[in-house]
Amino acid sequence: MIVGGIPLGDVLLASGALFVIGIAGALLRRNAISIFLSVELMMNAANLAVLGYAAALHNLEGQVVVFFVIAIAAAEAAVGLAIFVALFRHTETIDVNRINLLKW
Amino acid sequence: MTAARLAFDAAAGVAIIFACVMVVHRNPVKSVLALVVSFFALAVTYVLLSAPLIAAVQVIVYAGAILVLFLFVLMLLNVPEEARRGSGHPIQNFLASVAIVVFAAALLAVFRAYGGIASQPAGDWKADVADVARLVFSEHLLSFEALSVLLLAALVGAFTLARRESRS
Repeated sequence: MIVGGIPLGDVLLASGALFVIGIAGALLRRNAISIFLSVELMMNAANLAVLGYAAALHNLEGQVVVFFVIAIAAAEAAVGLAIFVALFRHTETIDVNRINLLKW
Repeated sequence: MTAARLAFDAAAGVAIIFACVMVVHRNPVKSVLALVVSFFALAVTYVLLSAPLIAAVQVIVYAGAILVLFLFVLMLLNVPEEARRGSGHPIQNFLASVAIVVFAAALLAVFRAYGGIASQPAGDWKADVADVARLVFSEHLLSFEALSVLLLAALVGAFTLARRESRS
């Protein structure tokens, strides 16, 4: 493994860029599954920042937190996709603009 | 510039580029495939941040299991490509763009304001997988067990949600 100095600034910049891309996807896309993918991307950006801080502060707790976050993301993906399948069965679409049952 | 920093920047660049491809692509299947590449690149950055266990979990659980589940559902539902002309109100995209720019500026401002710690090197430290395991199975044992219950609940919930209702 390569050992050397990676400045935390690089890690935070990459994490912030990925998070902003995820926000852009979540706001601009209209396909529910694409929005869900963007949320996953944002979660990974947060994980990257946590791991960067864990390495900079020489603290292992960060890795434990990221481990738990990934496990919870797996549970969330399973439930979310089940919701989309049920939704698609009812409305025949997963375009979030056409799913407006609760709109006034 | 050290070799580790060069490798980190290259991997992070690949991750960012393929994340952009994911957002821009109208075909959801190609979006998922782009995100797989992005997550693999992120796993490389995790290794460089001396988190080999998390990198392995990232490849196995995220790129391997979660995104394959996404692909499976996409192909099950036969989701069409997004139309170029959206179904929503035209002002939606404009407001979303404004929100994105404001958020990016706010994030940059936070990083600049708390930049003191940012000069600290994040790479020159070796973490042992055994130490992570010791932490998970001693101090965080309760959270770990709670997580297993959560996964079981998610399994049952997903099964109940996606099941076809009986015709009685």
